[in-house]
Amino acid sequence: MDISQILANGIVLGALYACIAVGFSLVWGVLNVINMLHGSFIILGGYLTYFAWFYLGLHPILVLPAVALVLYVLGYLVQYAFINKVVAAPVLTTLTLTFGLDMILYNLMTVYFTATPRRVTLDMGSLDIAGVVMPGDRLIGMGLALLLTALLYLVMRGSSIGRAIVAVRMDRQAAALMGIRVNKIYAITFGIGALMAGAAGAVFAMVFPVTTNLTGSFLGKAFVICVIGGLGSVPGALVGGIALGVIESFAGYLLGPQHAITVGFLLMLILLVVRPTGLVGVKGYE
Amino acid sequence: MLKRSWKTTIAGAAVLGASSAFVAPSAQAEDGVLKIGAPLALTGGLADEGKKQKAVWSLWLDKINAKGGIDVGGEKLKVEFVEYDYQTDGKRAGQLAEKLITDDEVDVLMAPFGSGHTKIIAAVAERYQVPMLACVASSVSVYDQGFKYLFGTLAPNTGMTESMVGYFKEKHPSLKKVAVYGRDDVFPKAMATALAASAESGDLEVVYNELYAVGTMDHSAAISAIKAAEPDWVYMTGYTQDLILGRKQMADLGIEAPLVTMVTGPAYREFTEGLGELADGVTSSTWWHHATAYTDTPGAWSSTAEFYKDFTTAYDSDPDYVHASCAAAADVLVDAVERAGSTDKQAVRDALAATEMKTFYGPIDFGDNGMNQGREMPIIQVQGEAIKVLYPAAIADAELELVD
Repeated sequence: MDISQILANGIVLGALYACIAVGFSLVWGVLNVINMLHGSFIILGGYLTYFAWFYLGLHPILVLPAVALVLYVLGYLVQYAFINKVVAAPVLTTLTLTFGLDMILYNLMTVYFTATPRRVTLDMGSLDIAGVVMPGDRLIGMGLALLLTALLYLVMRGSSIGRAIVAVRMDRQAAALMGIRVNKIYAITFGIGALMAGAAGAVFAMVFPVTTNLTGSFLGKAFVICVIGGLGSVPGALVGGIALGVIESFAGYLLGPQHAITVGFLLMLILLVVRPTGLVGVKGYE
Repeated sequence: MLKRSWKTTIAGAAVLGASSAFVAPSAQAEDGVLKIGAPLALTGGLADEGKKQKAVWSLWLDKINAKGGIDVGGEKLKVEFVEYDYQTDGKRAGQLAEKLITDDEVDVLMAPFGSGHTKIIAAVAERYQVPMLACVASSVSVYDQGFKYLFGTLAPNTGMTESMVGYFKEKHPSLKKVAVYGRDDVFPKAMATALAASAESGDLEVVYNELYAVGTMDHSAAISAIKAAEPDWVYMTGYTQDLILGRKQMADLGIEAPLVTMVTGPAYREFTEGLGELADGVTSSTWWHHATAYTDTPGAWSSTAEFYKDFTTAYDSDPDYVHASCAAAADVLVDAVERAGSTDKQAVRDALAATEMKTFYGPIDFGDNGMNQGREMPIIQVQGEAIKVLYPAAIADAELELVD
């Protein structure tokens, strides 16, 4: 068996994983809110993409910006209307709140969309490079995932909103004293987290079946990736995602698919003990 | 996992108030009525399956009572279902079974979905010596406890895999190597294990035999390993979402096995819809599919086609094996009561044990352990946009086609 195929599988999967985690990591790192809605946001993005493709014949890549925008507005409103009320409370309070909101969203989707798996059946073929087979949709998904992550990185570094988010993350009180409207930054950050989830959902609709049954799996992956890569930074999510993808791929091949997920969790536990900041995390956000 | 179980618990509690038996339970047994008790999972994790049972029994009941009821010892008896929601809580299922027997004085019990909960209720039925029909329990461990009052309409898992190995070897003589890949979950794992055993006893080489964990979101590592083993036949079990992803990744990574079996993917419409052309050629085995064509059958429906027509008219969706097996169980029960000539529990139990009946769902003949031994499970295949039956020969409507 060619090791390069296993590595390629892992890297492609890892880029998709990074796309799951980047919004979740941002919200956790900046707001100190563990957003239990994240998995459902991804699936909602997936459903919107699927319906646009199924009923309107629109390609997922064309729909992606609109889906991301819808999710941004939804995220902004959720933060502004609900989470801002308790954002300064201990993390357990916000976790419980987002958990409750997630139950509502999850059950609404199950009732109205049903849990029946759906898929955007676009055949994009595969690319064979020196015996390493790369499925077309996954390659496009990986490209989009990397592009979105890079865009978010640039926004965080290069825009005034991004710098305000980073400032709030570093010291909320000092940022407020500098004239930054912290509550607004919180809502924007949560909106960006939801936007990234929606974009991830649009990408995933081409690769994975869309079903509410997967919300828990997406959320679980986001947790593991954040711990492995480190909280609160875009590179952290990217490194964590690719590390998890490659580890799962090799573990699945060497130890059997039954143990692939276990090995990912094991790595998370080891890192929690020996390096709580994650592989590239910032101290203070462990 | 914790998160999802909380969701189902609270959702179950919310719906609890709205759920009710479709015939109000009465405290006293009535003359002229055959009372069937059914604890059902109408809320909680198994609610979808519980609702299937409720829906098909409602349809069945309308059909039977429209004929004026059933003939028992020269008298017409109406049939009545007494149902309670046990909220997918096994302990509560046992308590409600006891209430149905002692308080509602039902004549027989129908078991709910799944081997686990059937086992719990079977113990209660046995204690009170009340005949019980299980229509959605396929695990042999339910039936090997020496119970005398338990009868099941599904056939053992192993029957499915042995007939499939035999059929494929006959139709594709160059078949030598099989890869088995199953979800590490009760039924999918049991099927994968049974297939690997049947393949080995059928002199096939099992070149890959692994399980994947619940929650697996990607199969590329396993499928790359399967590809390297160059099997002639890939047999994968799991939930529909796993199978859709698995089939797609097989195509993406260039698996070229001429036989691809997914259990029980093609039995569900969402599998073919979610895969499009990739579903073409995928085979499966199932306890029942509406493409099977049993005709001239006694009971509520005289043929599979008639059942399918009634069901789709009433519910605007396709029936699956849960619907069919449970409706057939009700037919078997009526047949036994009519032969017994009374609703006496011992007489009905003895009549059930002697059952040999052809239903729209297929033949039913209970073995010594109470499990249906009379079934040759259909092998089905997606051909074009249709589901074709390949086996058994008596109901086959197509020949096996190899995957392109």
